[in-house]
Amino acid sequence: MSDIVALAVQQTLNGVYLGCLYVMVALGLTLIYGVLNQINFAHADFVTVGAFTAFFAATRFATKVLGMPDAAAYLFSIVAAFGMGALLGLLINAAVFAPLRERGDELRPLIATIGVSVLLENAQLALFGPVPYQFDSPFARETIRIGRIFFTGQSVLVIAVSAASIGALYAFMRFTFLGKALRAVAQDRETAGLMGINPGLLIGLTIVIASALAGMAGALLGPVLVLSPFAGASVIVKAFAIVIIGGFGNMQGTIIAGILVGIIEAFTVQYLGSGLIDLVVFVLLLAMLVVRPTGLIAEHKEENV
Amino acid sequence: MKVTVRTLLACAALLASFATYAQVRVGVLMPISGPGSYFGVMGKEGTELALEQLKGGVNGKKLEVQYEDSACSPLQATNAVKRILDQFKPHIVVGEECSDASLAIAPILEQAKVLQLNAGSVTMKLTESGYKYVFRIFPNAEQQSLPLVKVAYNVLKARTAVILPEKTNAGADNAEGFKKPFEAMGGKVLAVIDYGRDVNDFTAIATRIAALGKIDVLPTFSLEGQQVRLTQALAQAKVVKGGGGNAVQMGSIWLPYGFEQKAGQSSEGYVRVVQFDPTENRKVVQDFVKSYKAKFGQDKVPTHITAHAYDTIMLIAEAVRRGATDTESMREQFRKMKRVELTTGFVTFDEKGQNSDLSVVHVVQTQKDLSWKAINWQ
Amino acid sequence: MTRRWIYLALAILVITALPWLVTSSYWRGILVICAMNVLLALALNLVIGYTGQLNLGQSAFFAIGAYVSTILMKTYGWNFWLAAFAAVVAAGFLGLALAAFAVRLRGHYLAIASLGFAVITYQVLINWDSVTEGVRGIYGILPPVGNTVALFYVVAGIAILVYFVLDNLVHSPVGDTLRAIREDEISAASLGVNGAIWKAFAFGLGAGIAGLAGCFYPGFVGTLVPDAFNIVESFTMMAMVIVGGMGTMIGPVIGAIVLTILPEFLRGFGELRLMIYGLALTLVVLFLPGGIASCFKRPG
Repeated sequence: MSDIVALAVQQTLNGVYLGCLYVMVALGLTLIYGVLNQINFAHADFVTVGAFTAFFAATRFATKVLGMPDAAAYLFSIVAAFGMGALLGLLINAAVFAPLRERGDELRPLIATIGVSVLLENAQLALFGPVPYQFDSPFARETIRIGRIFFTGQSVLVIAVSAASIGALYAFMRFTFLGKALRAVAQDRETAGLMGINPGLLIGLTIVIASALAGMAGALLGPVLVLSPFAGASVIVKAFAIVIIGGFGNMQGTIIAGILVGIIEAFTVQYLGSGLIDLVVFVLLLAMLVVRPTGLIAEHKEENV
Repeated sequence: MKVTVRTLLACAALLASFATYAQVRVGVLMPISGPGSYFGVMGKEGTELALEQLKGGVNGKKLEVQYEDSACSPLQATNAVKRILDQFKPHIVVGEECSDASLAIAPILEQAKVLQLNAGSVTMKLTESGYKYVFRIFPNAEQQSLPLVKVAYNVLKARTAVILPEKTNAGADNAEGFKKPFEAMGGKVLAVIDYGRDVNDFTAIATRIAALGKIDVLPTFSLEGQQVRLTQALAQAKVVKGGGGNAVQMGSIWLPYGFEQKAGQSSEGYVRVVQFDPTENRKVVQDFVKSYKAKFGQDKVPTHITAHAYDTIMLIAEAVRRGATDTESMREQFRKMKRVELTTGFVTFDEKGQNSDLSVVHVVQTQKDLSWKAINWQ
Repeated sequence: MTRRWIYLALAILVITALPWLVTSSYWRGILVICAMNVLLALALNLVIGYTGQLNLGQSAFFAIGAYVSTILMKTYGWNFWLAAFAAVVAAGFLGLALAAFAVRLRGHYLAIASLGFAVITYQVLINWDSVTEGVRGIYGILPPVGNTVALFYVVAGIAILVYFVLDNLVHSPVGDTLRAIREDEISAASLGVNGAIWKAFAFGLGAGIAGLAGCFYPGFVGTLVPDAFNIVESFTMMAMVIVGGMGTMIGPVIGAIVLTILPEFLRGFGELRLMIYGLALTLVVLFLPGGIASCFKRPG
């Protein structure tokens, strides 16, 4: 392989890996937007809580109490973070989204979730302190080399888990009654209500699923991030960008946009400079809004009815 | 009637106690909220420990401390310092950690004629702007980078470098502090790759560095959290010795003790400047480490940030011991100090208020078993 | 009509008296920040509250005001008022341009376009070192007037002026037009109203006022670094509008003052300060949907 090709392959790989991490964070955001037309600003902090849950589940509980080997303990911690995310989703729905939805409000939930975000971030600061934790995944220690190309076990795991969760989410939406009902609510809340679907319950369910995904994303990001109470905040702005580039509430678009942003980021680092990542991503976003205001993949609402 | 008399008596007693225990008031500005609280939490430990040891007073005077959250931000620091000046009327203000905030409060303190004792900012501007009330015990950017340059060029025989600073005031100053003398000696800086504090994944940066050709040294200026990730990525990309490459990564005083254990084998061959070393044999250091462990837990090790905060209070106490009673006399005492020993080294202020004694600054290289081996740089 | 003049006289009286009621330089400084934030919240309310456009990029216009005025003074030696005028024009023009491009985007798309604009502005400030000094920041910036009290009078005076201009505007036919667009743009269009032009006008005006507020920031702090204009600041400004009471004139004023003073009052709580702030923000939004201003409104 020539130098330039090897370099391009390596950076593409780096980008895809990074993109998968972004997709995991962005999926929950897009899911909530899809059914609720709402942005959960505390989503980033759910990711952080997930990362801390995974850290303590793996290093304090699974290995010390249950006596699991490292690899099993880390996999266990992903499940624990998923559960913690679901719990947070339940709480924020009960406390913020459900009461405000009854008033048919657009802006206030956003501000309320900003408040929740400040609260969560600082509660974690009080609990865990600001000094970064060293969360080592046993998979991150394995460097796999194929020729001159290298990647870690963690990146394989991240790509596998993202693919699996996207697959599961798709199957859920397509083939289960709940999933179909969810899509119905997303399309037309009132009609769905008339058809005997309880939109409140389904919206709650969506928020729980989205938050559980955020928690799981935290577990996957934990060994990559600088794990402090501010960890989630460092990826959330990019996650917002991905949700928009993908077309609000469009899952397929979000996945493609996430991976695309990851790759663009890797090549920006290579050819323009790492300080320009956000600039490039957001200029792209504005350009996107000019050219295709509906996002990468145009919505075909009519087809789904 | 009885009550009034008793109240009066109590007031009198209170006044008398104030008279006998004259106070030296120390305002401490530290980031307690936001990401900068990384510094604040460690700094507060050091300050508390020092105050506990000085409980009995110094030279008949009591050290009174008031903390204020300055959040690493110029606006917050400005508010905080005004508040502390109004409400507490300090003789001296310690802080801030972040360069931006330290620079923002300097003119306010200068105007109020209150001392600023800094222990965490590297920015050259702080002591180069002609402030009369600024003193700094921390080596500035040039002082931190110069030993690295000498080791790189003379000991490691390095001729090419890629500098990796975080995109902050401090990172930029340290990068500049390396680049200028290194190029003056005949070295070549292939690239300066900076990154924001929100960058987490360094694989793409490491890949780019791996493609830059032969690099001898990689001076890195960022905080521990990002450095661990960066060092691991550089090892994976086979750039540094820890990953089977040839380049040597170099780091500044910013890295606390224990970095090698967190970064693991990737850090083998890492060369860094160390100012505070908890394993050092000097008595002050060992006493400090012992009392720190007694107070905060046997498994904890104080960092340079804790040590610097402890030192600032101890230095003020030393000035009081030598007769300082207010801002002006303390300033006089600071100016007269020659080789005052602290946990982070010796202090002799130059005419700009910068500590000029670097005798404790040493350079170490991480070995295969993650222990340190000293490198002679002088 | 006479009632409004009484209120104006009352406001002037309070503003004149305030710096002499709180004599510490710390609280006088907080007064200046309050006045600055009132300006920002008033401007944002015009855009969000009266034309229903979700602007998440207010921090960008604030930043443009601050940087343009400072650079014109420091590098080109302009006098403050001339530099401030140029900065307001620059911020207003950029706002207009963004709005012209964004008016065809609805709801959250406009929100995101403005958020994107804020991120880009912040990144430009950081990366365009040769002009903005980047992360190193600009230091030693002098305030336009001698002392904090004078600065407060200037900024608060401008805030009153802006308040009355905007108050007249929203109670004029223009205000009716803006509200009509907010409620139903299509019906408004059928009555011959060009929604796009009016929305862009409101957006540009709001951006210009934010830029004006920005002109006073650097001189007050003495230091200008990009971090002061992080996008989080946009959310704080929006919180001021919502907490105070969106779509009312007095609401944003109350919101700006409350959310500026609250964190200062909470300083005594140390580490818990921002936790309490976050909780308070959430609770106000949950239990006072009309904002604090709704408490003062008598029914009917």
